[in-house]
Amino acid sequence: MDKEELNVFIRLLQKVRKQPNQTFDLGLIVKEPKSQIEVEKVFEEIKKVVDIERIVYDETIFDEDVIDKIVEAFQKNKWVFLEIKKDIDSPLLNQLKHLANYNSFQLIDYRGKDVFEMKMPENSRVIVFAERDFIENKISYPHFYRLFGPTLILQ
Amino acid sequence: MPNPETLRFKSPEELKEEKIEKKIKERGPEGEILGGIVFEEEKAIDPETKEERTRRYIYIGNPYEERPIITKLETDASREEVEAIKREIIPMKESFEILEAMARTYKHRQPLLIEGSTAIGKTYLADKFTELLYGRGVKPLDVYCSGQTDVSELMAKWVPRVETEEEKRKWNEFVESLEAQEKISQIAQEIEQKEKLSQEQKLALIHTKLQELAKSAGLSEKTQWRFQYGAVPKAMGLIRNPDGSFSFDEQKGMGFIIHIEEVGLAEPQVINALLKLRGKRGQLAEEIQLWENGGRKVKAGPKFWVVFSTNPPEEYLARNEVDPALARGVVFKRMGELSEESLRLAADYYFTYKLSEKPKEKPEGCILDIYNYPEIGREIAKVVSIFHNELNKELKKGEKGRQQRIPLTLDDMARVADALIDTQIRNKETGLLDLNETLKKHIHFYYLDRLADEELKKTMEANLNELLEGVTGKIKFEGKILTRKEIFDTLVERASLTEDEKKKLEEEKKKEEEKKLRQAKFDVQDAIDSLLKNPKIPESVKRLLQE
Repeated sequence: MDKEELNVFIRLLQKVRKQPNQTFDLGLIVKEPKSQIEVEKVFEEIKKVVDIERIVYDETIFDEDVIDKIVEAFQKNKWVFLEIKKDIDSPLLNQLKHLANYNSFQLIDYRGKDVFEMKMPENSRVIVFAERDFIENKISYPHFYRLFGPTLILQ
Repeated sequence: MPNPETLRFKSPEELKEEKIEKKIKERGPEGEILGGIVFEEEKAIDPETKEERTRRYIYIGNPYEERPIITKLETDASREEVEAIKREIIPMKESFEILEAMARTYKHRQPLLIEGSTAIGKTYLADKFTELLYGRGVKPLDVYCSGQTDVSELMAKWVPRVETEEEKRKWNEFVESLEAQEKISQIAQEIEQKEKLSQEQKLALIHTKLQELAKSAGLSEKTQWRFQYGAVPKAMGLIRNPDGSFSFDEQKGMGFIIHIEEVGLAEPQVINALLKLRGKRGQLAEEIQLWENGGRKVKAGPKFWVVFSTNPPEEYLARNEVDPALARGVVFKRMGELSEESLRLAADYYFTYKLSEKPKEKPEGCILDIYNYPEIGREIAKVVSIFHNELNKELKKGEKGRQQRIPLTLDDMARVADALIDTQIRNKETGLLDLNETLKKHIHFYYLDRLADEELKKTMEANLNELLEGVTGKIKFEGKILTRKEIFDTLVERASLTEDEKKKLEEEKKKEEEKKLRQAKFDVQDAIDSLLKNPKIPESVKRLLQE
């Protein structure tokens, strides 16, 4: 893995705020089919630079639990490394889109509030990790790439 | 003199209309749009308290039109807030078309559906419209549809009160199954058909059905259930509290704005549920009945409004046309592509950093504070808008070897603009900012790195190089034909000068001009002398020349 590329990727996620709303981007790491780099290795490398929590989104976890975990990570000012291993269901997709557009969560009937709103802390970011084949063949939402700013390709 | 028969006095209303229209159509010294949104305060007597109070209004109209339709709406936002929101809207023709449609339909409680490409700014403008009505930072309720969107997310559902993680897991697994989804939708359908039952009887029947569901899911039959409203009824009965939080009252809530996005991706059952929102005379329904709750009604508050949005069906694979029944029940605003002129305007706003506060101090990584040099920004904008447009055309055709599409948005430009501030490369020879190389790197990172089609990537790389450094990319600049790279170098060099160097350069420029002027005078004198010596020139003309 090219560490310089990874550093640029992290640096841009940390620094770039889009005009006019001053929102930060969500980052995407795509593993190409021929890549030998393991997800654990990528996560460990990022962990050396920022305080980050790994969440695996697969068949064993429900959307509301993933959302809970992201909320908790934000409460600790942490970054989130979200590994996508199943097609994204509507509740999580909605919140990822909220994060991408407004850097905030908007949940109905959550934690005792009719409308729960939570801003992503200035020091937190979300990085999504997925394999290219998975994105192309399993993710049914057609604008998946549009959720993200910087994209790091693992060749 | 005007014909006295056609003279008439204008009423105060007419004069006020003219004043507002003038403000809506206001333009700056370079023809830039300054109007479109106007804030006004009016004093009025409160009919209940009989006290005078000040009301705030915004007027929205399309400043590009000769005779704009102007809509007046009451707002909670202050003058300062409205001005700040206005500054964040790029005054593109398309933006005002959308804002005008939003204002008109909001005023008449009509649901609006905007179909337009990704870059047109549907989400952003729904956001800004909400802020114009409620103040800075207030967002609409936002729901994004996809193939997985469930009716219950939008409307309502029963949720078991589970005590343990095990119970939670069982329920979640069950509810995701096809069997469960069928059973749940059957409950609402069955209740809808039992017209003769009272509300209590219907609720009792629902309770029985829910216990059956609990059993199927492996939960206790004594499980307690909680009714949870979805985003639509919530928006109908929301109350915005003074502290900015929301509460809900299904009968007396004021209502709020809900933006249902990508409605073209929703499954038919979701669309069917949304059809409940159709009311009389093309307006929104005044109430909806939720069979999930035994047919109980939720009232739409006076400020409830729905805006739907979707991308054009031809833009994406496997995308549905907007359901005809839904299309009939809304005001359908179909937008074309963002024009090249608008794209250029947007680029100009991003790269001259007009949309947000500029850094007060030079940030780390910044060699040249380009955000303080609009002349540099304007040249960058020309390059990026051309490149963006070209790539967008290619991407619309679809990439080889990719199911997912990557439509470009204005965010891509915004990213490049922001990265340019403090991620800059130095020219090793001059020590100054290498703008050409920096721009290339950022365009590469934000536009090209994500392309899967290697052939397209190479073509676009070559196009970018040609645009920046090639002969075909050359343009006229200050009287000379130069490449964009040469223009960048000139502008960067100029901007990098110290104050003393700038003064010196100014003096040299002045001297050069004076020299040219002197030379011109000599040339004129020589010409006159030669004419005076010419015997063919009449004496009368020579006298005139001497004078």
